[in-house]
Amino acid sequence: MNTVARDDYLERLIESWKKEISPARSIPYLDQLRANALGRVELLRLPTIRDEEWRFTDISSLRNTPFPRASAVASTDLDDQRVDAFLDETACKLVFIDGQYMPGLSNLATDDDSITVCSLSELTTGARAHIAEQYLGQLASFQENVFVALNTALMHEGVCIVVSADAAVKVPLHILYISSSKDVAAYPRCLLIAEMGARVTLVEEYVALHEGVSLTNAVMEVYVMDSASVNHVRVQHESQQAFHIANSFAQVAKAAHYDSLNLALGARISRFDERITLAGENAECEVDGLALIADRQLADTHTFIDHALPYGKSRQLHKCIVDGNAHGVFSGKIMVRPHAQLTDARQLNRSLLLSDKARMDTKPQLEIFADDVKCAHGATVGQLDKESLFYLQSRGLAEVAARNLLTYAFGGEIIDRVVVPSLKRRLEEYILARTRIG
Amino acid sequence: MSAVLQNLVNQPYKHGFVTDIEADIAPKGLNEDIIRLISSKKSEPEWLLAFRLEAYRKWLDMAEPAWQNVKYPKINFQDISYYSAPKPKKKLASMDEVDPELLRTFEKLGVPMHERAALAGVAVDVIFDSVSVATTYKEKLAEVGIIFCSISEAVQKYPELIRQYLGTVVPPGDNYYAALNSAVFTDGSFCFIPKGVKCPMDLSTYFRINTEESGQFERTLIIAEEGASVSYLEGCTAPRFDTNQLHAAVVELVALDDADIKYSTVQNWYAGDENGIGGIYNFVTKRGLAKGRNSRISWTQVETGSAITWKYPSCILRGENSVGEFYSVAVTNHHQQADTGTKMIHIGPNTRSTIVSKGISAGQSNSSYRGLVRIAPTARNARNYSQCDSMLIGSHCGAHTFPYIQVQNESAQVEHEASTSRIGEDQLFYFAQRGIGAEEAVSMIINGFCKEVFQQLPLEFAVEATKLLSFKLEGSVG
Repeated sequence: MNTVARDDYLERLIESWKKEISPARSIPYLDQLRANALGRVELLRLPTIRDEEWRFTDISSLRNTPFPRASAVASTDLDDQRVDAFLDETACKLVFIDGQYMPGLSNLATDDDSITVCSLSELTTGARAHIAEQYLGQLASFQENVFVALNTALMHEGVCIVVSADAAVKVPLHILYISSSKDVAAYPRCLLIAEMGARVTLVEEYVALHEGVSLTNAVMEVYVMDSASVNHVRVQHESQQAFHIANSFAQVAKAAHYDSLNLALGARISRFDERITLAGENAECEVDGLALIADRQLADTHTFIDHALPYGKSRQLHKCIVDGNAHGVFSGKIMVRPHAQLTDARQLNRSLLLSDKARMDTKPQLEIFADDVKCAHGATVGQLDKESLFYLQSRGLAEVAARNLLTYAFGGEIIDRVVVPSLKRRLEEYILARTRIG
Repeated sequence: MSAVLQNLVNQPYKHGFVTDIEADIAPKGLNEDIIRLISSKKSEPEWLLAFRLEAYRKWLDMAEPAWQNVKYPKINFQDISYYSAPKPKKKLASMDEVDPELLRTFEKLGVPMHERAALAGVAVDVIFDSVSVATTYKEKLAEVGIIFCSISEAVQKYPELIRQYLGTVVPPGDNYYAALNSAVFTDGSFCFIPKGVKCPMDLSTYFRINTEESGQFERTLIIAEEGASVSYLEGCTAPRFDTNQLHAAVVELVALDDADIKYSTVQNWYAGDENGIGGIYNFVTKRGLAKGRNSRISWTQVETGSAITWKYPSCILRGENSVGEFYSVAVTNHHQQADTGTKMIHIGPNTRSTIVSKGISAGQSNSSYRGLVRIAPTARNARNYSQCDSMLIGSHCGAHTFPYIQVQNESAQVEHEASTSRIGEDQLFYFAQRGIGAEEAVSMIINGFCKEVFQQLPLEFAVEATKLLSFKLEGSVG
């Protein structure tokens, strides 16, 4: 993204926000960060397909909608039951509607005092005061990324989760982002800090209650401290007309482990940028993804795994099932820095095209600057295996049933990696329904 | 890094010497007058001058590309002499008439022409600073109807063929350096294999850059008609100079129905010294059009020289059942940079392509594989298999892989895999306990790593390539 003359669209957005961006709050650091980000937005422009990182994902249609930020959420006719339909065994549920935090629907009461959950605006007092300064916005650099800059400029109701040292949180934390009305933009922000030796599972879920156009621009920052372990599941299930743009940053410290699983199911255009830095020796990450798209959907996943120190290990499996006129994009880069010796990195991207009009663009990349490493990547694009189809048919399955079964199995490999049983069940049912054609 | 291995790579360039032949050099700079001068010097027809001028005008409107993963100081295109020809001499009838100085140069390179020609039956069309001074075996080839000559000669003798095909695979405005080449190309090879003819011998050209500060702009055009087949070899070595020299060649291949073109390259131009001073900039556009049904285009390259290698020999697979192949070994040492790979554009149904790329980096060098596999909606049942492996020698070099895979057809099967490895102490230890020294062990491991590519080379090139690799990497493993 170059800095060029002002971008009309952004300029109009900024104008409309300037009125509502609240004046100085009580945290100077946060205000300063927001102001810097806003200043940066003014110098950037929306990416186009002429930008290498966006060459397969045309978001020019974003310009057609002004997307006012949701002001006070009108409809709170959502009751606990409706919300609970999305959630299951959670220690802690945080519900956002159109980017606004809903204390009434959330449940922060945990009997586990090892978790601290608060809104970003509460990061003012006592022991929490330093958190914002030390962590917020440190990973999510907005210098080159206009969407991170926009999110940073507008964050106010984000959530901050701190899991204290050596705590093992048994039940998952669940953040539910609900898009309740169309033509509205949400800018959710989340900061997760797993202190030394902590273990936690976080489910981040995006759902919609409408079928219209909306925009989500989310930013997530995850710090996995020494020997900690974070399991992060992300389910994007927005309306079929929605724009979903998300940036996720994780820093994995010494001997820590980060599991990330991303499911892209909804949205007209979705773009997920994930940047994981293995910033300590023996750090490990597992990065998995599944995009299941049809009709005119576009799902774009960009990952960047940065091996900065020795003995790191990364495993990545990304799958795409592309049907109808849909377009899948995957770009995964593995970087091994000069001193990251004995790195072990493996990446695999497998894509399944189910229709003649389906399209897949994939770009797995390796950048290696250390000699004593094991790095491999692979990518395949293809259709269902004819031999397998034949085998199933020879066992008495109708062709359609055989196809569905194989498609389901292809996606099932990723779903199997979801560690929350109820969520896994729900996803299995969903995938089964989606792959049931004919 | 063990000391033995350290010594292995840091061998000076073995082919560094300058042949003293008087050259006819055009003034430095590039403008329409220079292009007219080149065109008139070569007594070209009007349409070719128009082709050059059109390319030049396109070039003026283009920006120098910056997306590649290489770094170099900005090139001053006005500081290059665009034409240099050895002093015109009367046409040579036999090898005896070739300048003895030139023969001595080939002697030093270890490829005495007469010997090579006699032993291997290779016709060598010698390109020596842009002008063809000797062409052998032409009569023999002419018997079966094959035209093999310099492109300038072809322009005079077979203008209709040149006019029909020149710029059809790489159009003048294709990219910055192709446009520059189209405007100022001075010489190159032309090869035409008529219908049904299998070329009886491997064709070969030696490219050498000889005059200091003269960029070379070669243009090669190979056409294989229905059912024809040819194997073309291109090998390069160049004397050492401290000034960077630009080489922007264009190679176009056209294969009609059932035709088969195999294009092999061994490139060992001066790569600069161990501090990265000097060396050739090799910015080449190579592309083959598999136009007919069942046609086949195969690229094999062994890239060991040049300060910067930047080329993507490509195949446009338009004909039904056409086949594209790319086999590459790229070796970089010291401060060399290589950004190379291929493009396989599948347009016709049942097209198949194979990519095997081996990158070896040592010293402070960087090597990148950049490839594109595109399956168009029309390419039903297209198939691609790509494999790119990198080997890193030492901890100051880099290896990069940037494959682009674009599939727009559900019946296509595309596979890509890449891996990175190194020569481990344990491997060397294994060799040592079998009584094989480090130097030999390294050579064996490297040759094993590159085997799949070397197998594609014609025999005499395979021998040369194996030798080349061993002395390129002498001393860098550990």
